[in-house]
Amino acid sequence: MIHVPLRILAAVNTVLLRIGRNVAWVALALMVVVILLQVFFRYVLNSALAWPDEAARFLMLWMTGLIAPSAYRWGGFVAIDMLPLALPRLLGLLLNLVLLLISLSVLAMGLKFGWDHTMGFGGNFNSSSLRIPLDLFGGEMVRVKLRYMYASLLTGMALLFLVNIELILRTLMAILSPDRDTPPTDEPVGLPMEAE
Amino acid sequence: MLIWFLPVFLVLLMVGLPVFFALLFAPGVLLWLNGQERDIALLYRNLYNGMDSFPLMALPFFMLAGEVMNRGGITVRLVEFSQALMGHLRGGLAHVNILSSILFAGLSGSAVADTSALGSTLIPAMEKNGYSRKFAAAITAASSVIGPIIPPSGIMIIYAYVMGESVAALFLAGIVPGILVGLGLMLMVRLLADRYDLPKAERIVSRGQEISRLESAVSFILLRMNVAGVLAAVFFGVGSFAGGIDVNGWLVFLLFLPVAHLILMRIRHSVSHDFRVVCKKAVAPLQTPIIILGGILIGVFTPTEASAVAVFYALIVSFFVLRSMKLSDLSEVLMKSSLASATVLLLVGAAVAFKTVVSLSHAPELLADWILGLSENPLILLFLINILLFVVGMFLDAGPAIIILGPILGPIFTDLGVHPVHFAIIMSVNLTVGLATPPMGLVLFVASQVSREKVETISKAILPFLAVEIAVIFLITFVPAISMTVPRWAGFVQ
Repeated sequence: MIHVPLRILAAVNTVLLRIGRNVAWVALALMVVVILLQVFFRYVLNSALAWPDEAARFLMLWMTGLIAPSAYRWGGFVAIDMLPLALPRLLGLLLNLVLLLISLSVLAMGLKFGWDHTMGFGGNFNSSSLRIPLDLFGGEMVRVKLRYMYASLLTGMALLFLVNIELILRTLMAILSPDRDTPPTDEPVGLPMEAE
Repeated sequence: MLIWFLPVFLVLLMVGLPVFFALLFAPGVLLWLNGQERDIALLYRNLYNGMDSFPLMALPFFMLAGEVMNRGGITVRLVEFSQALMGHLRGGLAHVNILSSILFAGLSGSAVADTSALGSTLIPAMEKNGYSRKFAAAITAASSVIGPIIPPSGIMIIYAYVMGESVAALFLAGIVPGILVGLGLMLMVRLLADRYDLPKAERIVSRGQEISRLESAVSFILLRMNVAGVLAAVFFGVGSFAGGIDVNGWLVFLLFLPVAHLILMRIRHSVSHDFRVVCKKAVAPLQTPIIILGGILIGVFTPTEASAVAVFYALIVSFFVLRSMKLSDLSEVLMKSSLASATVLLLVGAAVAFKTVVSLSHAPELLADWILGLSENPLILLFLINILLFVVGMFLDAGPAIIILGPILGPIFTDLGVHPVHFAIIMSVNLTVGLATPPMGLVLFVASQVSREKVETISKAILPFLAVEIAVIFLITFVPAISMTVPRWAGFVQ
């Protein structure tokens, strides 16, 4: 019963998160390039550029929003998991379920306020320095709206929400029918998930 | 009413809710019960604004630089270099382990990376040399806590950002404490060497060392430039160049280049060929911390820019000089670093959101009253805080712990007259040592993975080293000069 939706959701998440991760690493690479440009222009050519600071932050926000959900899926969010591990199996799973529901409520609120934040009044403003220089190609110069930046966290919330539902289904599966196979999480082998 | 968010938060944390969600849920739910719906929107906004930061960008960059450097060859080079310097002492490889950790700390800001990289090379080597496996694993874990104390350091970037301190000041303040931890551990090895008759080792492991012509040339130039730079710094008086270097400075630097060459040529004649090559092979990797710290010290870079330059340097070295990386490795390295940094960035954002509610709730005042009710003497309070931090460090990673406790404890001690930078170092050292403390110390688990020795066994073997580290913590706590001298000297702290 849970098996089918879990399988579908897991497949969807696998695709979405793969895309997210690939955009994220490119974003990190671009961040390095942008900051190096800034250093080069300021110290070598002696004329500071206006946009690298904001562009790099833009990229960092999107990197975070797009790759953090993968970390969540693979258990990379730091937690003190002594109690769930110390409890008997079933009790531990039930506790996990409660914790996942709490997380889900946080993410639901995150989606609501993220939507307001992104689509609201503030998102309409133009970024102070970011422009898409279409005028170089004969078009009109487009100013980047703050909304495009705000959307990074909203996207992150949405992906985390999907992952959270998948984790809930997985826990339910483990409680109700522990013998059935669960779909793969797409986690690469031997990837240490700790930051410090 | 709102003050209840703190106990709610702690309970949620203890039962296993991920820190990120606990940081948002506890204040959010109480604001909601209080009918302050508008402040919940503020919570979200601060989560976003907390991540939208230029100084914070140093975090993914330093992780990336460390990851690139770590890719191939570099660990072995550092270990061989350390061995050439200290292998002949009694307990040689244990000393080598500690020295490698100190050097490695300048490349990466992470204790876990340190344990897994050095452990996989040194633990087998130590076993072959006659050490017990548990001892080898214990010294690897114990020395790896130096990683986040010596710059660059992930937790110091986080602390500086959340608390509004200068990253550069914290970096500089961490140098001496980190080296002190290393020296303390070496002293303990010395004592144990007498007791257990720990063996000496060869200084040079493999004879007939080779070095590529390009790398040899690069090391040749870098070495001379570094020595000349140090001479010029001594000539002008250290600290006088914090505002940048003028033309005279560069001229003196150029004048010192031939002097540096002569000095190095003199040393060259007194050492063997293999020793020379081993040292030469360590030059390119070890230039990274010099670029980072030098750039920040001279005022050329902000820490974020320094971290990006470090990535650039690491890429150049590993692609063209060491040839230890292929283009196809690049995406994996980038993905690993962005994955690790994204979780930390989210946490930092959540901490900034949490912090706003902390100040709305008057919790710091109440907590400060309570703490000051215990004692008015800063020294006694610092002692108590050491114990608290140590216990927290046993259960929680240093990064999240610093994010949670910094905003609560920092202001109290600053009011008592403890310098913010000094307090930052106390917190960082305390919490990183917690990483190697049983029962939940993260690096213990990593060391156990690398060595295939049980965590319990390593936990016992690590006790003498932990005793040393605790002693160093107290030393750092009660002698502010240990942390404050270097940043004062360089003009980053008044």
